[in-house]
Amino acid sequence: MLKNNNFLKKLLKIRNRRDIFFIILAFLIVAIFYIAPTPKGLSHDGQVMIGILILAAILWITEAIPLAVTGLLIMIIQPLLHVMSPSDVFSSFGNQAVFFLIGAFILTGAIEKHGLHRRIALKFLSYFEKSPRFFTLGIMTSCAFLSFIMPEHGVAALFLPIIASILIAMKIVPKQSNFGKISMISVAFGCSIGSLGTLIGGARNIYAVGVLSDIGINITFFDWMKYSMPVVFIALPLVWLILQFSFPIEIKDISAARKEIKNQVAVEGKMSKNESIVLIILIITIILWIFFSSHQYFGLAVIAILGSVLLFLTGVVNWKDVEKRVPWGIILLYGGAITLGIGINDTGAGNWIADQIFNMAGVNLYLVILMMIVLTVLLTNVMSNIGAVAILLPIGIAVAPVAGMSPLLSSMIIALSGGLAFMFVIATPGNAITYSSGYFSIRDLFKAGIFANIICIIVVYLVALLYWIGVLGLQII
Amino acid sequence: MFKNVLIPISSEFYNKLVLERGFSLAEKFNSKINLIYIIEEKTLNQTDRLSNSYRTPYEIAETKNEIIRKQKLAADNIIFEDAKYFFSNKKIPFESKIHQGEFSKVIKNELKNKEYDLVLMGFNKECLLRYRVFDEVKIPIWVVNKTDGRSILAVCSNLAPNIKVPDISLKLSEVLNLELNMIYVIDIEDSVQVDEKFKRSDKKTEKDLMFIAQSFIQKMENKGINVILLKGSFEKEVIKATEKYNPKIVIIGREQKKKGLLGLPVKNFKRKMVEKCNYSILYLN
Repeated sequence: MLKNNNFLKKLLKIRNRRDIFFIILAFLIVAIFYIAPTPKGLSHDGQVMIGILILAAILWITEAIPLAVTGLLIMIIQPLLHVMSPSDVFSSFGNQAVFFLIGAFILTGAIEKHGLHRRIALKFLSYFEKSPRFFTLGIMTSCAFLSFIMPEHGVAALFLPIIASILIAMKIVPKQSNFGKISMISVAFGCSIGSLGTLIGGARNIYAVGVLSDIGINITFFDWMKYSMPVVFIALPLVWLILQFSFPIEIKDISAARKEIKNQVAVEGKMSKNESIVLIILIITIILWIFFSSHQYFGLAVIAILGSVLLFLTGVVNWKDVEKRVPWGIILLYGGAITLGIGINDTGAGNWIADQIFNMAGVNLYLVILMMIVLTVLLTNVMSNIGAVAILLPIGIAVAPVAGMSPLLSSMIIALSGGLAFMFVIATPGNAITYSSGYFSIRDLFKAGIFANIICIIVVYLVALLYWIGVLGLQII
Repeated sequence: MFKNVLIPISSEFYNKLVLERGFSLAEKFNSKINLIYIIEEKTLNQTDRLSNSYRTPYEIAETKNEIIRKQKLAADNIIFEDAKYFFSNKKIPFESKIHQGEFSKVIKNELKNKEYDLVLMGFNKECLLRYRVFDEVKIPIWVVNKTDGRSILAVCSNLAPNIKVPDISLKLSEVLNLELNMIYVIDIEDSVQVDEKFKRSDKKTEKDLMFIAQSFIQKMENKGINVILLKGSFEKEVIKATEKYNPKIVIIGREQKKKGLLGLPVKNFKRKMVEKCNYSILYLN
């Protein structure tokens, strides 16, 4: 008894009570699902998978253990409970999306190492120096565009010092100036909206592509852009307008900002040889992705790895850079998420959940689409984006045929809505990074974020109905 | 009375009003001002935690250093510049420094290292700060809020020994040339009497509490201070009184409020008062 008490005390020193509570709760739920009688229409394996899904949701929402470790846990718990064989679980790491992620991270690492992203950002911003209002549009647009070629969190981290320097040069007082608030929130929202645009912006995009390829639907880099870009280009100006209404800009003079951008451009100097090489390889890679990433050509991963190998061959990156700048955690998280999706699908748990939802709510395609968007947006605001998509996507894919739509449509809806985390500081690293600048409060973000989320829900809904179903014929089976 | 004033400003929240108030107090009391800008570790840690799976430790550290660098720059170019305008230009002695850490912890450490008579600070509920400092510091804390009143509202109650509040209120009303209004609240939700050693008695009857209140009022009247007797919940009665008197400052003593929901101790009582009250509050602690 005394020994147990000591163990508990030591444990409490390592982890806090809240974390321990949620870890125990998560495992308890899996245990209950393992031993409880199975309802009609659901296999025992399916029931256990639902328990694992709830475990993942609890641990990803509360972050009682690191997100990536939850990913690992999901992988090992399935063979441990005999739901999936170890070879099936680990074969998901053979999915080309994993190697696309690795290649994309190496490319991003090279861009960051040589400061190419900073040069592009400053170049973009310099086109928007006419007025304070136009400048904030410039921030948002620049962040969005840069999030097409590198992960959104990296873009937020890049823009934070650039915009903070400009605001300090303008003597903008943190939290008191609406211009300061809009400028920083524009970074966060611009990155989030931009990350929807390509497969590189957010890991959830490539996760959706990975899950779809497992059920035989192949999406190329260009396909993704074709589906997502309308959402980006409609949402961007609308969200910018929301910010303008939420925080009317009080300053008129932008000359200090202009001067600061000029200073920063001067510090950058001329483009170096290595920067040029990275830029050329990046352009070649993107062109190859756009035109040759379909299955009859090379696929996404081969091109990504080709780009990375070229970076090594030209000597612009070395292995130390990869160690420094490739976040292996997200790849483990991805692995866990994809095995979760496969498990839900293969055990019939997804179909069973879909049946239960439709038995209760009835089948109405338009309502199902709206509910998918709203639910994903709500969930992504309280947990990691990829976690939210990983939980909802397998269910969305199972729901699709019952609701009369294609799994591709439901996947696009969930993957894109999963990037719309605007309301809370904890919703996404981009929000937290910009919040740490001190220029806006939690309430400011919520005030702007709630309206931005509402408008984006409407945008995704209308794009789904009018463009994906109406123009591209993505529906409805 | 307030010879050494500490003004902590968190990277989470900056209010110029604090410097303005610091200046007017320094003028009246010949105070020396010590300004610390606190780079809030909690915010930095939260950013690190959220970025944990998405970014490498190297990138996280890079971003953290950038954030710290920019916050130091903002402190130097904006906040300390404002402070120079208020203090240096008007020949009020002042020192400034930057610390990184948790707001309350930094203040407590600073109070350990140096003698201070007052902590003068702003408040914003829309941030990550917990403001533990209200309960953990033994010197007066003045929380600045924008008000246009011309009076002091001194608050006494059955939940405090009521020794410091009358004396300091009287002195402040003389020095700051403000009218003094005093209330005595009998908290019927927490019917105990707190003695001079800050010990809570057993539950008392309303009649007993009323008797103690009356004798306090009598004592104050002998000093020439009129006291209004109020009965009800301490927080609610104080808020009502602030709305009635529109004071420049509310002075509250060391209230030992224990009884909350299900008889559990009230947590963050002082913080909640600051949140609810739109006026400046001086906690005498």
